[in-house]
Amino acid sequence: MKALCWMGSSKVEVHNVSDPTILNPHDAIIKVTRTAICGSDLHLYDGFIPTMEEGDILGHEFMGIVEETGKSVPNLKRGDRVVVPFTIACGNCEFCKKKIWSACDNTNPNAHLMEAAYGYSGSGLFGYSHMMGGYAGGQAQYVRVPFANVGPLKIESDLPDEKVLFLSDIFPTGYMAAENAQIQKNDTVAVWGCGPVGQFAIASAFMLGAARVIAIDRLPERLELARSIGAITVDYSEEDVSVLTGSPFSAAAGDLRQGENGVDARNRQVKRSATSDPVGAQGRHCFDPWSLWGSVRQGSLRSRLRQGHHDEDGSDQHAQLYGAAAGAD
Amino acid sequence: MSKALNEKPNAEPLPAAASAGVILNGRYLPPPEDKDGMIWVRTSALIHASAEDLYNMWRDVEGAPLWQEQIERVTRTGETTSHWVMRPANDDDKDKHRDNTIEWDCEILKDEPGRRIAWKSIGGESENAGEVVFEPAPGGRGTMVTVLQEFRMGKLASAWETIVGRNPKQAVVENLRHFKALAETGEIPRTQGQPHGPRGVIAGMKKSIYGEETVTPPGLNRKAS
Repeated sequence: MKALCWMGSSKVEVHNVSDPTILNPHDAIIKVTRTAICGSDLHLYDGFIPTMEEGDILGHEFMGIVEETGKSVPNLKRGDRVVVPFTIACGNCEFCKKKIWSACDNTNPNAHLMEAAYGYSGSGLFGYSHMMGGYAGGQAQYVRVPFANVGPLKIESDLPDEKVLFLSDIFPTGYMAAENAQIQKNDTVAVWGCGPVGQFAIASAFMLGAARVIAIDRLPERLELARSIGAITVDYSEEDVSVLTGSPFSAAAGDLRQGENGVDARNRQVKRSATSDPVGAQGRHCFDPWSLWGSVRQGSLRSRLRQGHHDEDGSDQHAQLYGAAAGAD
Repeated sequence: MSKALNEKPNAEPLPAAASAGVILNGRYLPPPEDKDGMIWVRTSALIHASAEDLYNMWRDVEGAPLWQEQIERVTRTGETTSHWVMRPANDDDKDKHRDNTIEWDCEILKDEPGRRIAWKSIGGESENAGEVVFEPAPGGRGTMVTVLQEFRMGKLASAWETIVGRNPKQAVVENLRHFKALAETGEIPRTQGQPHGPRGVIAGMKKSIYGEETVTPPGLNRKAS
């Protein structure tokens, strides 16, 4: 099959590799019909993630048709259409039983590497370095899905791939940003950053009852998309975002990229009345993608179909009076 | 002081003030310092299964190759004794015709069903001893399994094992991880055998660091309970 391989920093290539096979009783082989590039793939591409090795197959957002199942996958059969969450969960450990899937105890065969680097390992991930499992990813024609009895979501409606693919990672990430912001009915919510996560955070904020969502970015097409789903937009390159916090808005927060409008700036702007909740890739060249793992260690990162978030330390946490949501690109 | 340690032939005389035992009044204490040719390791895991089931799984010595790395074969030779055959991780295919295995006999010294097993080697090419304790976790959340093992091996030899294959200390940690995965899910997660693109020279050299030199045990059909 053809697969996209990481061949070094800023170097990815399509190679012909052998087809994946069933290795364990709970495995399934999926024929990939749609796959996406995640913002966090940029960390890999840029070479910021240790234990990536030449030849590793990338991709953790994918969906497809079940081709073959192991003998202990009663929930799936050949021909089923599934979206696969990027965190691999065993379903039976202490964390999975608490539905903290991304902290699964069992699915990382290289947990010792994570333990050496971070003190504790989370679940295995598709296509995201040896340290995080070393599983071959889904930017390929076929992919092996371990614990297919737990993760994959069967899509039985006729919704097109483009509308369900995002359940693999990015939609739940945006949704979780909104959920963590504890949005109450009729809150005003601000979303810093209108990349894909931000767009989903905006939509999720409305779903959770926000009366008004303020979308903050500088790229016209992103602001246009945010407007099209009902947000009020602020171009921070033209307007001072901090005007918001002087207003009666119950301000909220997301993150976007480092620099003046990054996490620090947002935290200054939000002040006491809001929940501040960063999520997403935190900027392409941010040296702190690992803050995500802080929340794994606290057991606060809950992800089956959700990406990690991390709670702010500091006063924001103690003043969760109003809703907030977050986005990143 | 844990009694099990005194039952081991290799146990060093322990300082009176600092017990080196596994469990003392419900507290876990650090394992003894590595010295005089002995290395020690202690590790524990919370496993969602009953202490009885886990004890039975561990006590079935002939089933050990299913979840213990590099153990090729275990044969029961008596009620409490068994013969162990290990094939080191760095044993290349081309050498398979040679007898590179490490073999030893093992005796169970303490056998408390559902609670504890202590053992030691009784001759052969490896000198080791160990103890595993199964304690019900608070709140009905499964069983806390704690393993203490010691090996007669110098620090240099231990470091060499890290480079060429699997350090025995790490093997104990990994074996408990495999045991837990097998007990909880009925399989041991693995990536060996999956596709990948062309590995360069460097990536090939790093295989042992990633534990890829050590074959993941098969672990089939052994789910507890």
